[in-house]
Amino acid sequence: MSLEIFNKSQSLSLGVELELQLVHLNDFDLAAASPDMLELLRRKSFPGTVTPEITESMIEISTDVHSKYSELLSQLLEIRDKLIDAADRLNIGICGGGVHPFQFWSDRRIFKKLRFKEVSALYGYLTKQFTVFGQHIHVGCTSGNEALFLLHALNRYVPHFIALSASSPFVQGKDTMFNSARLNSVFAFPLSGRAPFSLSWDEFQQYFIKMQKTGIVKSMKDFYWDIRPKPEYGTIELRVCDTPLSVQRAASLACYMQALCRYLLRDDDKLKTAEDDYLVYNYNRFQACRFGLDGTIIHPKSHEQISLREDILTTLRLLQPHAEILDSIPALEYIDDVVHTGSDASYLRQEYISRGSLEGVVDASLQKFRLNV
Amino acid sequence: MIPLPSTIPVFLTWSIAILLAFIIGEYGFKWIKLPRISTYAIMGFILGHSQSGFLPKTHSDTVLLLINIAFGLILFEAGYRINMRWLRKNLWIGITSIAEATLTFIAVYILLLCFNMQTSTALLLSALSMATSPATVVRVLHEQGSSGQVTERVLLLSTLNCILAVFCFKVIVAFMILKTSGSIWQASYVSLFALVLSMALGGLLGIVIAALVRSTKTTTHNMVFFAISIIFLVTLTHSLNLSPIMATLTFGLVSRHRRIILNSSQRGFGTLGDLLSVLLFVFIATTLKWPHIIEGVGLGIALIVVRQLSKILGISIFAHVSGISWQKGLLVGFAMAPISAFVILLLEQTHYLGINLVDKFSCLAVAVLILEIIGPIMIQTAVKLSHEVPDTKEY
Repeated sequence: MSLEIFNKSQSLSLGVELELQLVHLNDFDLAAASPDMLELLRRKSFPGTVTPEITESMIEISTDVHSKYSELLSQLLEIRDKLIDAADRLNIGICGGGVHPFQFWSDRRIFKKLRFKEVSALYGYLTKQFTVFGQHIHVGCTSGNEALFLLHALNRYVPHFIALSASSPFVQGKDTMFNSARLNSVFAFPLSGRAPFSLSWDEFQQYFIKMQKTGIVKSMKDFYWDIRPKPEYGTIELRVCDTPLSVQRAASLACYMQALCRYLLRDDDKLKTAEDDYLVYNYNRFQACRFGLDGTIIHPKSHEQISLREDILTTLRLLQPHAEILDSIPALEYIDDVVHTGSDASYLRQEYISRGSLEGVVDASLQKFRLNV
Repeated sequence: MIPLPSTIPVFLTWSIAILLAFIIGEYGFKWIKLPRISTYAIMGFILGHSQSGFLPKTHSDTVLLLINIAFGLILFEAGYRINMRWLRKNLWIGITSIAEATLTFIAVYILLLCFNMQTSTALLLSALSMATSPATVVRVLHEQGSSGQVTERVLLLSTLNCILAVFCFKVIVAFMILKTSGSIWQASYVSLFALVLSMALGGLLGIVIAALVRSTKTTTHNMVFFAISIIFLVTLTHSLNLSPIMATLTFGLVSRHRRIILNSSQRGFGTLGDLLSVLLFVFIATTLKWPHIIEGVGLGIALIVVRQLSKILGISIFAHVSGISWQKGLLVGFAMAPISAFVILLLEQTHYLGINLVDKFSCLAVAVLILEIIGPIMIQTAVKLSHEVPDTKEY
């Protein structure tokens, strides 16, 4: 079987997937509650889709395809309210955050589904330690070539998304000193990292077929890349974001990406992408994971050091006219506010200090998920 | 030559009994997956005075105190797990609880009347039949490491029906006292007033301890602090003839709602909880006497069946509407088997009634013995069938 054809979709259309944490309300540890949640949610129509994830303490939701910020946000809010309602009926907590701060991977349970069992058999403990929670953003592309262009042009901005969404400072009960420790769990997988450099869909298909012949991959799903094309949807999928603590932030991040893609598609001659751009990729990615908005990245072309915070603010100014056309100014204002007030990771650290325990940190996340601002 | 004592000291017999129960419990768990507390009950029954005569006939105050503390620790945890918000958000949970308890009461009462039991005795016995043992439930669920709606609901419903049973029991006792002595004061003191006072004490302690924990910012010694406070509360309520059950339950409930967080590694009070539970479950079965078992076997089995069917029916009819599948509803009802009647009788110090209820309730003795042994197995089966325990093949 070769790679499916790239289904054309509406340029700059958006879809969001969020992996969410299911938590015990007695001790705030993760709860193996997804089978019960799904059983209850299946009874009524759900705005969007809800699916199980690899371990039973996770649940994944996805939105329909949208082109406007307001529509995306209102669907995410509707989904959130449905989830909260079901969780309340079952005495389960539900929240965002890239990693649960003190769960132990060995306590997790694999969801009873064939694919998950196979993955678990192959990867051993990596599977359970993959109980991490990410936001995936899909952006529609009109062709495979456009998808690959965007995929590689976006590489320079990957640190923005990591720093803005970072919400995983604590792992297995300790402060990791990272802002997004979640990505370290993803990095453990052999097919993680970035897609090979190629701007032609035909060439990419050749690569895929070769990989398939090695027997390592069966489908695009086997690649755990930071950004990957999704030919079946006609999108590229950005996978570096931690699930933010609120759906409002998730919607803003998606629209930041949408505006960025519009900018990249129109101002492409300024940013010719090249394989060498990736020389600084892993370093910049690390800076964003470790230091968040306080990180310093290396510009892939000029090789100057730039403050990540400054770089995002500069980008926001560039995106302004695009956001006006896309009707997503409030989303950019939200991002601007994040740059000034700090990421979810710094919020969680503050809560840890004021509440004095990691259980308190989870409690803060649960409350934040319910807030309407 | 060292002179040997003519009789084995009481404490030595108890420590031997606990050691034996523990060792055999471990083997039973490993070889045939028998829940540990089932073995403890079997051992307690065999070693009890009326059977082998290994353990002494009367129980020393120290052993009784330890039993009280063991139960207090478990009830505190059961109370801590009651989330009032859940009861408000999902009204069907409360309705389920009242339905299954009421249904059990009525069905058992009718059964007992059919067996020509005296009205007052039948009422007391029906009230006690309502209660599922939170102690057994908590211990088995810890042992299984289960998680899900069956687990959550069995825990909550067993705590709630225990509260309902104690209330109901006290009200019936009050009426009995009123009928015999005519004193409203005495009647209400031993019943509702005692319950309210016990709850007030538990609540007050919850507020004070929560404030102290917060002000000292102790997190690592929280559990020691709570264990010591529970011991204090149990001994205090016991000596005042109040209800240690209601006091410790309220203490747990208030601690939770004062936002005190007990972390998962301290679940069940760790080693202390494990240790005292061996004693508790061995002890419960030692109170049973073989002649009673023989005498009450027919009615005892009928009581088990009627009680179990009432619980299954009362819970499963509200399963779907309360947010779980029919299958899980049935399994919750199935898991509600263990009975805590004897512990209630013991802790609630019914001796002031002037009648020995334990001797009167031979059918209850049968139910307790059987359910102490198979009740844990039923809980284990329910959580396994509902896929709420980790798959053993997983890694």
